[in-house]
Amino acid sequence: MSGEEEENAAELKIGDEFLKAKCLMNCEVSLILEHKYEQLRQTSEDPMNQVSQVFEKSLQYVKRFSRYKNPDAVRQVREILSRYQLAEFELCVLGNLCPETVEEAIAMVPSIKTKGRAHDDEAIEKMLNDLSLIKRFE
Amino acid sequence: MFFHIVMERNMQLHPRHFGRNLRENIVSKLMKDVEGTCSGRHGFVVAITGIENIGKGLIRDGTGFVTFPVKYQCVVFRPFKGEILEAVVTMVNKMGFFAEAGPVQIFVSNHLIPDDMEFQSGDMPNYTTSDGSVKIQKDSEVRLKIIGTRVDATEIFCIGTIKDDFLGVINDPATA
Repeated sequence: MSGEEEENAAELKIGDEFLKAKCLMNCEVSLILEHKYEQLRQTSEDPMNQVSQVFEKSLQYVKRFSRYKNPDAVRQVREILSRYQLAEFELCVLGNLCPETVEEAIAMVPSIKTKGRAHDDEAIEKMLNDLSLIKRFE
Repeated sequence: MFFHIVMERNMQLHPRHFGRNLRENIVSKLMKDVEGTCSGRHGFVVAITGIENIGKGLIRDGTGFVTFPVKYQCVVFRPFKGEILEAVVTMVNKMGFFAEAGPVQIFVSNHLIPDDMEFQSGDMPNYTTSDGSVKIQKDSEVRLKIIGTRVDATEIFCIGTIKDDFLGVINDPATA
C-alpha cells in the first residue's frame, strides 16, 4: 500500500492501475447511468428500489454537474481534448470543470504545466476556446 | 473521478442455479454482490456495464458449490488526494461543512474556509463574507480540492479545502 500513501492527483500520481484505466467525465457517466436506469425501468416496476444508494447518488450528482447534455457534444469534447496529448485523468478534470482562463486551467490541472510537456499558454488557451465553442453551439 | 475499469471476482454458486440460466444467474448475483460496494483500492462500484468473460468453474470439495472467475467492466468512483471536483453542500455547522460528490462525503473544516467568511447560526446556518456577497449554505454548489482521504473497509471519507485559487461557491441556491 506504499504507493497509495503518496498519491497526489495534482502531480498525476494516481496509481498505475487508474492512470491506465479509462476515465469518465461526468457527462459520460450520466449517459451510461441513465441508459442503465432506463433498462431497469423496462424490466421492473420499481426501479428505484432495485438500484443501490451509490448508484442513486452518483446519478443525481452527474445529472447536476454535467456540463454537456447532448451525446454528440459529449463525444466532441472528448475528441477535441484528446488532440492535446493529455492524460485521461487531466482530460476529464478539464471536461468536468470547464475552466475559462489559462490561469484557472493550470490551477485545476497543475500537471499540464510540469516540465517536459509541450503545453504553453497559447496551446492551453486554444484548447479552452475550442471547449467553450462546443458549449455555445450545443 | 469516475473510471471505467475491468475487475475480476470469484463467484461462488450453489448447484441449484446450474442449468441453462447459469450465465444469467452468475451475472445477476454479481450485480447484487458488487454494485454499491466500496473498497479502498477501487473506490465505489457504481454500476456493472458488461461482462468480459466467465471462466471455467471449479467444484469445491465437499460442498458442491462451484467457483467461477468472472471478469467484468464497471463504472467506479474513486476520489484522489489533490483532485479538484464539484460538490453539493449537505450540512453546515460551526466546525465547517459537509459536501457530497456522488457517493462520497467530504468535510471542509472552518480552518480551510477562507478567513473572510464567518459562520452565521440560525435555522439556515451558513458561512458568509463580511459584505454578504458570497454565502455557503445547504444545497450550495462548491468547487473544492481533496486534501486527504480516509479509507476503511466499506467507506471512503474525504477532507477538502476551498482556501485556494479558483475554489469556492459556484452556485448559490438563494440567488439562482
